[in-house]
Amino acid sequence: MVLLDVEGLTKSFGGLKAISNLSFQVNEGEILGLIGPNGAGKTTAFNLIAGFMPPNSGKVILEGEDVVGLKPYAITRKGIARTFQIVKPFRKLTVLENVTLASFLRFSARKEAEAEAHKVLERVELAEKATSFASDLTLSEQKRLEIARALATNPKVLLLDEPMGGLNPTEIDHASILVREICKGGVTIIWVEHVLKAIMNSCHRVIVIHHGEKIADMPPEQVVTNPVVIEAYLGKKAKKYEEGEQTC
Amino acid sequence: MKKIAIIVGLIILGIAPIVFPSPFFVHLMIMVLMWTVLGAAWNILGGFAGQVSFGHATFLGAGAYTTMILYLKLGVDPWYGIILGGIVAVLISLPIGLICFRLRGPYFALSTLAVAEIIRLVALNWESLTNGPVGLLITTLPQVSLGGSPINWESKTPFYYIIAVIALGAIVMTLFVARTRLGAYLLALREDIDSAESIGINTLQTRVVALALSAFLAGTAGGFYAMYFRYVDPDAVFSIGLSVEMVFIAVVGGLTTVVGPLVGAMFLVTLGESFREHFLVGHLIFYGFFMMLAIRYMPDGVWGRLSVLIKKIYTKKGTNHGAA
Amino acid sequence: MVSGILTGSLYAMIGVGLTVIFGVMRIINMAHGDMVMLGMYSSFWALTLWKVDPFVSIILWVPAAFLVGMLAYRFLLKKIVPAGELNTLLYTAGLSLLVSNLALFIWTGDYRTIKLDYAVMPLRPFGIAVPIPLAIAFGMAILITVALYWFLVRTDTGRAIRATSQEPVAAALMGVNAAQMEMVTFGLGTALACGAGVLLAPSLYLYPTVGEILVAKCFVIVVLGGLGSVQGAIAGGLLLGVVESLGAVYVSVPYKDAIGFVIFLLVLLFRPSGLFGVGKS
Repeated sequence: MVLLDVEGLTKSFGGLKAISNLSFQVNEGEILGLIGPNGAGKTTAFNLIAGFMPPNSGKVILEGEDVVGLKPYAITRKGIARTFQIVKPFRKLTVLENVTLASFLRFSARKEAEAEAHKVLERVELAEKATSFASDLTLSEQKRLEIARALATNPKVLLLDEPMGGLNPTEIDHASILVREICKGGVTIIWVEHVLKAIMNSCHRVIVIHHGEKIADMPPEQVVTNPVVIEAYLGKKAKKYEEGEQTC
Repeated sequence: MKKIAIIVGLIILGIAPIVFPSPFFVHLMIMVLMWTVLGAAWNILGGFAGQVSFGHATFLGAGAYTTMILYLKLGVDPWYGIILGGIVAVLISLPIGLICFRLRGPYFALSTLAVAEIIRLVALNWESLTNGPVGLLITTLPQVSLGGSPINWESKTPFYYIIAVIALGAIVMTLFVARTRLGAYLLALREDIDSAESIGINTLQTRVVALALSAFLAGTAGGFYAMYFRYVDPDAVFSIGLSVEMVFIAVVGGLTTVVGPLVGAMFLVTLGESFREHFLVGHLIFYGFFMMLAIRYMPDGVWGRLSVLIKKIYTKKGTNHGAA
Repeated sequence: MVSGILTGSLYAMIGVGLTVIFGVMRIINMAHGDMVMLGMYSSFWALTLWKVDPFVSIILWVPAAFLVGMLAYRFLLKKIVPAGELNTLLYTAGLSLLVSNLALFIWTGDYRTIKLDYAVMPLRPFGIAVPIPLAIAFGMAILITVALYWFLVRTDTGRAIRATSQEPVAAALMGVNAAQMEMVTFGLGTALACGAGVLLAPSLYLYPTVGEILVAKCFVIVVLGGLGSVQGAIAGGLLLGVVESLGAVYVSVPYKDAIGFVIFLLVLLFRPSGLFGVGKS
């Protein structure tokens, strides 16, 4: 069943077309990967979907309702939560307070909101750090806090913006398991990533964006060997090199 | 332990003017309490919500003028006037918030300054409403009796009790903000507005609410000002100086705490008024000096420092009371 | 209108100091107006005690202010800057209150004026009355501005300041000594403010809290011109001077001050990088 339907999203900054007629669908319960070279427009796409930027045209339909034009907090309330590429925890507050703020969305009483926050912290394995200040966490822990905060709003769709950035291989494996667990728990996930290994291992389907346009939409195994994708990442020279021509 | 402190505090509050009846002292306590209300008002917006306003005198003035005008022109008793003054201040705060909250940080602060100055100039010139630079004067307060005996408005004591009640209200309101979801949301948007929005917080609405509460408190304090000093003019109640004093009391006392404004007022107002008694001018020297000290050495304010010290004393003693 | 340009040039001088301090160190210096006040009083006392004309004593006061500014930055402000823009704003607000009230305490709140013998009759070029002190002030302000322009554009230190003002990280990478630049900039800003004060003194009433309203007006200028932009501040200052004097004639005297603030709000809301958009918002 299609949960999120992005249709014809376009965004220009002055003369630069950052996103061009982007359309794709996300099925309920799947992990959709979103990859592409630097500057392709991945984070811009997230900003558009989550309401941090208005598109020039296009629709974002969640369960039949177009959410374009709504403010970010309203979109979160409708069920689309996001994390930020550069984590933005509330530094001077504790881990528990950070997540409680998010669970306040559903439980207006402090006690219940805190209880819910505890549960979420257990899911991301941050429970022991509940009373630490967000600024005292390691990067990997801060990324998990970011995810916990988003989860506490009970989203239908979770937008993960490069959660693996800056993590070492062990942490990446750990985080990938967490993402799969979240999906099993009933959350549909769109995952923007640079670390291709993590995407290939966990996603059901992958979309490739280049220069703001969708150039591929297929299962992970097919993406790696797709010539269009390879050319996008490595440029025309890579193709010529493969064909044996001189490139320098 | 906290409960004992609160009970003792309330008792002191109740009997102070009886124990120390000298007019200067009662006046001093009245000033401390009034500035506690103003500091608490600013603290809700500038402390909890982190939106530093340099134009809060607007709300003080609105409350003061409302009370004055309602009494002098329509015969509305000042105690109702004070509440109405608070409400008028809230009404004014709504458009101001919608305009100024588009800006952030120092730009927000400067815009509040601009708004405050515009309103001061309007008050100065709208003579049919405000009497312009001449100001408004109360000559006699209404004859009222409490429990059979008429209230003597020439003594400062009745005013003391009125402001004491208002101050208690301010502290209760701050407590309410601090303990509920509203307070948590304010602390979040103080840190990072985008982050707060991403977890479903309507930051504009939340800020407007904080401003409204803040304006109400400042407006009621303004109404009291009118009643106590019996004279208002635009340069007295709409001045940048008053706005700045509010900021200082809240910051020096300790932002985002409930008791901070009280501590700040006790400290600064006492120093200031005592100085003013002897030297007449320049009492704000202390405000400036302590603000600089606070930012440099005590960013959590005097109360912030004190409460850390108190905690240390308690944990050293081996008792763990999890105090404020 | 003419006097508007003349006063405007002095607003501009003060504004340039403010904008440069913000551009290089992101300090919103609420005490700037009090530096002007100190300049005013310095020239007053120089005249009263030593019988030296303000337009002469300026030669002493400007370098003195430069030094004081540098020292103030080094010993008072530098440690505060890392705490953030808002904290620095509060700190300078505290400093402003301290300085103006100290002045109030020492010199009392009595209004003072400077009377110059040669200032009694105004000049009348083309039939327009131009008060002499204002004319001289204008002339000197132009001189100082030209000197400043030459300094900022032609000398290495000046270019370093402009570079740091626009892109601090890049400037540091290119070997600019940020710490030195900061001290020099603050000294420069203070000197400009103080100098403007000396030049304004014969034309205005002197009182210790004059800094308050001046700094508010100068923020209007600086935001209008774009925080960090020198040309913007100059344009903004002249504009404000003209608008105020025109406003006094056509709108109404009391509301003329309000005009500046209304425009200020409008610019902040709709063009946050100012009319000349250099500063970051």
